[in-house]
Amino acid sequence: MRARTSLLGLGFVSPALALLIAFFLMPVVLTTFFAFTNMSTATGITGGSHIITGNLLRDLGNAGVDEDVLAALGEVSFSVTPETLAAAAEAGVDSSFLGEIETRLMGQSFEDARSFEAALKTMPSRPRRIRDLKLATQPFERSILNIRFQSRDAMEAAIAGMASEAGDETVSAIAEASYTGWRWIDGGNFQTLLDRPETIRIVLNTVFYVAATLAFNVLVGLFLAITTFYLPKGSAGIFSVLWLLPRITPVVLYAVMWKWFTWDNGFIYVIAKQLGLPAFNYMKGSVPTAWTTIILVNGFIGASFGMILFSGALRAIPVQQLWASEVDGASRWQQIRRIILPQLRWPILFVTSYQTLSLLSSYEQIWLTTNGGPGSTTTVWALEAFNTALNNYTGNLEYGMGAAMALILVAVGLVLSILYLRMFRFDELINKPRIEF
Amino acid sequence: MTILKTTKLLATTAMLLSGTMLAAQAEDYTITVWAGGTGDTSNYRYDNIVMAADILEREAAIRGEELNITVETQAWSGWDDFKQAVTLAAEAGNAPNIIISGHEDIGPWSQSGLLRPIEDYVDFDAWPLNAIYPNLYDITSYDGVVWGIPQDAESRPFYYSRAHLKEIGWTDADIDALPAKVESGEYTLYDMIDDAKKMQDAGVVEPGMGFVPRPSNGPDYWQFYISFGGEMVDPETGKLVLDKQAMTDMYQFFVDASDAGVVPSTYLGSTWDSFHEAVANDRAGFWHAGTWTKSEWETKWGVDDFFGQMQYSLIPAGNERGHANTISHPLVYLLSNAGTDDDAAISAELITIASEPRFNALHAVKSGKVALSDAEAEIPLFANDRWAGIATTQLLPHATAIPNDVEFGPYWNAMFKNLEASWTGTVSVEDAVNALEAEVTSALGDKIIVR
Repeated sequence: MRARTSLLGLGFVSPALALLIAFFLMPVVLTTFFAFTNMSTATGITGGSHIITGNLLRDLGNAGVDEDVLAALGEVSFSVTPETLAAAAEAGVDSSFLGEIETRLMGQSFEDARSFEAALKTMPSRPRRIRDLKLATQPFERSILNIRFQSRDAMEAAIAGMASEAGDETVSAIAEASYTGWRWIDGGNFQTLLDRPETIRIVLNTVFYVAATLAFNVLVGLFLAITTFYLPKGSAGIFSVLWLLPRITPVVLYAVMWKWFTWDNGFIYVIAKQLGLPAFNYMKGSVPTAWTTIILVNGFIGASFGMILFSGALRAIPVQQLWASEVDGASRWQQIRRIILPQLRWPILFVTSYQTLSLLSSYEQIWLTTNGGPGSTTTVWALEAFNTALNNYTGNLEYGMGAAMALILVAVGLVLSILYLRMFRFDELINKPRIEF
Repeated sequence: MTILKTTKLLATTAMLLSGTMLAAQAEDYTITVWAGGTGDTSNYRYDNIVMAADILEREAAIRGEELNITVETQAWSGWDDFKQAVTLAAEAGNAPNIIISGHEDIGPWSQSGLLRPIEDYVDFDAWPLNAIYPNLYDITSYDGVVWGIPQDAESRPFYYSRAHLKEIGWTDADIDALPAKVESGEYTLYDMIDDAKKMQDAGVVEPGMGFVPRPSNGPDYWQFYISFGGEMVDPETGKLVLDKQAMTDMYQFFVDASDAGVVPSTYLGSTWDSFHEAVANDRAGFWHAGTWTKSEWETKWGVDDFFGQMQYSLIPAGNERGHANTISHPLVYLLSNAGTDDDAAISAELITIASEPRFNALHAVKSGKVALSDAEAEIPLFANDRWAGIATTQLLPHATAIPNDVEFGPYWNAMFKNLEASWTGTVSVEDAVNALEAEVTSALGDKIIVR
């Protein structure tokens, strides 16, 4: 009976469990996995193949591989022999075309595709489509240059076939170098991050961004909650809704509105000009104004979050305490300081910890407004990781490096979560209250 | 495309057999075309493929075959989104059949197997591909393989406001003689800063509007590196080159320009709209942009008398180590690994037709690009267009191209990031160049030569 109950329970949680694994666990696992590779646009994600190219032969030559072996690998020839003709027939090349090749070109050899194709183009029965003509040349070709081999064994066999003088070790080394896919590079990405001078700058930017925005969120959220608490219900509702607007406006629209507000010839620009103050593009024109913009853009969204939670907590404070304090002649400030704030301790800690974690990984608003500029002065860790892995001008997407950066963010988030949990004793929060009202 | 040698032979067999069997049946193809960096005046980039499909269908009909081609096109005005879309679509197996992108993508995309070598599908010895200038095929080749067909090419001149030059005492004759002085190295980038300063001091342009460079990353910034004697590739070893002296001088130039007040230190990252608005309304003294921007200024920004309003030249030399130059950044038709071999063959035939001079001339003249062949230059539409002729004959001969190297993307990103850092004054020029060196040597190892 007991067993059946737990099975039922498992059945109930299984959809949630599946979602958790698909959307939470898998991304983290994949990020961890990517972080230790050199995956990029050039290597692809799904794996590579083996190919010998002219540049690879040049690099191998520089690395000291035997010149004779490389020369043999670089050879290309098209020869018309009974064997190649048979292969062509087997591949389905038109027999009258093959007949013409046999009569006119038997025993001849060509050093490149272009001259062989030129010779084939003189045949009356040649295929009409150029692609078919090119396909027909393949059985006559002897070369491994620029041919993709799916497996390493096939590559090694092909190398040994072209350069019989090469030893097993050389063949293996060349096959290894011919791999186009990603490789494990252990902690290479993390080492590069450590070596980069800009890393420290981005870390400092991130710390500043999170700290300043968090302070804004909590203080403004608190201020709003307390002031609306003292306002009559109707007008308090209107203010609350107004402050919710940044949160419920679609993020792109919200960013565009900020651009109108701060851009050249925008709202502030025009006002500042009228007043004779410096008028420029406030969003990107100077470092202090860029930071101010970013902190406000994010802060207004976060402040409403704090406001809602704090307002809820305020309503839970027994109103008799406030009445009693008024009887005792307490001022508003004394009420806030002595009664309200102490009882808001848990919500404040919760908002602080929750917002730290979400700010650490947020980049959308920065991307849509200053995009990390001017220069890289407002670039934060999450934005840099996004740009590295998924979005940059040259299209060179470094998935491995981006994942390494994201993994660091995950690690920092985990450590902070544990710290918060211990510091603020969340377990006490969820304990049953000791006194019942 | 990933093929085993044996499967390749099997594919050959299947292809040749199907070719004969299906000849009499109706054939339906859907070909997708994606184009990057394609604005309002560049619609012929993909429309030419649509017209080519019509011609190919008619040719098939004449042979008595029924061929139906549906061309689906999509254009991106920027590059970041476009390249992200192509790369991720390819990883998901949904790449378009034809990709129109910058030639520098050939390196990484060919390594990852995203592309089919177009040389396996087209005939370079036949019209119209044999008419295209051979040096353009060098730009579309990588690792000894031709991967793409040039779709367009341009040059990126330096522009001058005629009115503002006159206001600081230049005569018409002086202004007309300027391009030659720039070419010979007599008029340098630092002369330009001086004149921009004069314009600002005289109050003919607002402070910070003397020199208006490109607001975002682009091949254009490599031109200034060349102006100071830089080289992107070592001709002997084929490796990338970081010339520290040239890079230092180039970074220093933008810092000096910003110190002189002719361009704001926080200029980078402003918008194209404010750039075009300023230069088209003659609010700037000096600027640089592609040849294609002329048509944009005329159609979108109200420039009526381009030649009366603006003078153009190569990008001036920076010092005696460098020389006046311009960069051409040809876009190329690339064949992706998407679809069947037949889809690719049809796509290649469409690209071939779209590369006929008359088609290319439509795009070149509408968007202010140069000719890709002598035959294109002779098409009346092109031949009678003054700007297209100038761009082709006066500017293009001095053009260099950025390299097709798998590793060039990281180098380029790092170059621009450190330019931005020194320009905004967050680090010194020396530190920026050292950071660049540290970054590229740690990322590229011995694949880059540092001088």
